[in-house]
Amino acid sequence: MSLLESLRFTRGDTVIHNLDPRVKFLMTLVFFSVSVMFMDIVPLLLVFVVQIPLVFLAKVTNEWFKSIKGAGFIASFIFVTNMISFYYFRSGALTWDLVEYSLALTMRFIVLVTSFSLFFITTSPDKLSLALEKARIPYEFNFAFITAIRFVPVLADEAQTIMDAQRSRGLELDKGNFLTRIKNYIPILLPLIINSIRRSLELAEAMESRAFGATENRTNLYELKMNNIDVMVLVVSVILLVLAVYAKLYLPPFPSLLGNGPVF
Amino acid sequence: MALIEVKDLSYTYPQAEQPAIKNINLEINQGEFILLTGPSGCGKTTFCRTLNGLIPKFYNGEMTGKVIVNGLDTADHSTMELAQHVGLIFQNPDNQIFALTVEKDIAFGLENLGKSKPEMYKEIDWAAEVTGIQELRHRATHELSGGQKQRLTIASVLAMHPKIIVMDEPTSFLDPVGAEHIFDVLNQLNQELGITIIIIEHRIDIAAKYVDRIIVFDRGEVRSDGSPEEILSNEDTRLLGVGIPRILTLAKRLKDEAIFDNNPLTVDHFYDKICTVIQPASNKNIKPPFDLDELSGEYHHKPLIEISDLYFDYPGNVTALQGVNLTIHEGDYVAIMGENGAGKTTLVKHFNGLLRPKSGNIRFMGEDIKDKSVAQLARKIGLVFQNPDDQLFEETVEKEISFALHNFGIKESLIEKRVNWALNLLDIGKYREKSPFALSGGERKRVALASVLAWDPDVLVLDEPTIGQDYGQKERLRHFLMQLRTQGKTVVIVTHDVEFVAESQPHIVLMADGNVVTEGSTKQIMTTTEALARCSVAQPEITRLFTRLADYGLPNDVVDVDEAYDLLNRKIREARK
Repeated sequence: MSLLESLRFTRGDTVIHNLDPRVKFLMTLVFFSVSVMFMDIVPLLLVFVVQIPLVFLAKVTNEWFKSIKGAGFIASFIFVTNMISFYYFRSGALTWDLVEYSLALTMRFIVLVTSFSLFFITTSPDKLSLALEKARIPYEFNFAFITAIRFVPVLADEAQTIMDAQRSRGLELDKGNFLTRIKNYIPILLPLIINSIRRSLELAEAMESRAFGATENRTNLYELKMNNIDVMVLVVSVILLVLAVYAKLYLPPFPSLLGNGPVF
Repeated sequence: MALIEVKDLSYTYPQAEQPAIKNINLEINQGEFILLTGPSGCGKTTFCRTLNGLIPKFYNGEMTGKVIVNGLDTADHSTMELAQHVGLIFQNPDNQIFALTVEKDIAFGLENLGKSKPEMYKEIDWAAEVTGIQELRHRATHELSGGQKQRLTIASVLAMHPKIIVMDEPTSFLDPVGAEHIFDVLNQLNQELGITIIIIEHRIDIAAKYVDRIIVFDRGEVRSDGSPEEILSNEDTRLLGVGIPRILTLAKRLKDEAIFDNNPLTVDHFYDKICTVIQPASNKNIKPPFDLDELSGEYHHKPLIEISDLYFDYPGNVTALQGVNLTIHEGDYVAIMGENGAGKTTLVKHFNGLLRPKSGNIRFMGEDIKDKSVAQLARKIGLVFQNPDDQLFEETVEKEISFALHNFGIKESLIEKRVNWALNLLDIGKYREKSPFALSGGERKRVALASVLAWDPDVLVLDEPTIGQDYGQKERLRHFLMQLRTQGKTVVIVTHDVEFVAESQPHIVLMADGNVVTEGSTKQIMTTTEALARCSVAQPEITRLFTRLADYGLPNDVVDVDEAYDLLNRKIREARK
């Protein structure tokens, strides 16, 4: 959960925040493809070295660090299971290239987490919705997407209040066996669902009262426009991708860092 | 021609047996500021929905008669078209804010109408300026306070340049200072831009001084219609259960003295008149010959809830309580007051262990509650939440009330007795087999209260019990609380309602910024103006009057109408002798 929470958008006014969401998404995809293409630690480290200044540029080091911490368990899990399985696969010989290989896989995971957290932390849902609009997704879907995000904190508050109210009436959520525990949640789910239905009616009324659907040619306060920085990032991303593909296909494999001698 | 013309309007909701409104004939002119009031369920909200065509288009049902708004017959025009003439604002701001940022939400209606970008920015600038939320433009909507959200909803509707703004109880979630602020904004829209304002409100003491016409609804019909002075001094209005401003009630009780040629609605007005009759006294602020409170001191039983050095943070290091010290004694009647966000609800959630202190401790009947579960504590301390819809879920009222009793493992034979007792106590016996969802808001509130009272807790804590309640319902609640006290129950209320407090005179605890600022009897607290101002609590009207009359040899700590009447009556007679 902490991993998901750390992906929440954080407002900011930096180059990274202001990038066109489409360009930023492309950049994320390039990071993604490059890290999937290679299994050697050197190119993965290179990607990481490119990413770190971006995180600093976006001034989201704390948030990014939180997401890495959230991913820490999975990362160490990847490292340990790889080590163990290769160790047995290679019939008990522990060599440095094994360590390097496991490290590379862990690094790949960290690079992936970094690229996606950078994207989600710095891209406002409003901009995402604009990008969806440009992708010709119908406005109704877009509106539903924004409304869903808008009501997450409202619903969370409400769920907490309902839980408090029912606990004050002596409801003990973690009492009993598995089935009783599920049943215990009925007094919480029912008011939540009924309130949501009531809320959706009120929302519909309020939408009507604000002329929702009055014209086919709905306008949008914000617009996506690519500026020079966007074009530059776009070009650099594409060049990086081309270089990576070239390196993968035509260049000799990357040198190993740790050699392949025995660890002990 | 009138701006709004309503002719022989009747409407019945689908599947309803009775019409919600019937035979309504009204004319409303450009520039009027109108208050719609009447007991809960009288059809005011239904009437508002007819003004922009939500009724009958959105709700279906059966409508007869005509509603003509700005020359448009609502039967022939869609709501989205009418929305440009009538801006309708609903009670709960959260359910009408669609965008993630303030600026984008103001734009929502304009986007729907297909306005161009420069046009939109012009309207947003203007609407944000008028409603005073200019500096919040780029803020996230979910971070706003209640009052800011309400101003945003006004701005969002205003941006579409309606001629009429209709608001359904806009201030029910706000503290008195926030409520005044909303009325100031509406008043400015009315005075400077000539926008016609129609508002539904139970807080008549605040509304009365702004509006120039009051329409009273009762059982779906217009009962009376006229100027505030005329309507509020009408005996009929009072009997309907509409809350009459206390200052007007006082003036009416003094009517035999023939001081007022017309009925004063504000303290200033009353003061100006009364000063022409009574004489200033040389000895300021003399106390009445004896004061029971002062002779005996406040008498306290043994301590029941003792809180010392309580600190609490919400996740994300949001400080909510900072070193609260408070003792509640057995049999006390306590009101916790203060502005929104002062930590009142956070504090009472510590009483039954819903929240646990970061540091400091809480003792109940001398024992630390640290190791007690919420269920154990709740058995003794009943907490009734603000909104009954956050807890009602059973098929029948009877089951709803017995829910907690089953949780506490009370014997089946006793449960039936307790349920009957609670049903009778709150006068909801006739709904026993009904679904709680089929009841009105006020009735649901009583079911929620009964569902807590049924297990007979020693302490009853009520969070904002008067919100959204009409005057009659508040009076019933007040009598009910008095009744509980005679049974020796300890009652704690969290409230903004100064007039309710002035009439029931609890021990008051004032809170601000997560701390107790001061506490004392109603009379003491209501005269400590600095502390009240710090906590955004307004003085009751009667106290405000007596504060101004300090030079006339009258005590300033008068809070209720009866005492005020006795003192003034005596004073007037003295002066006329």
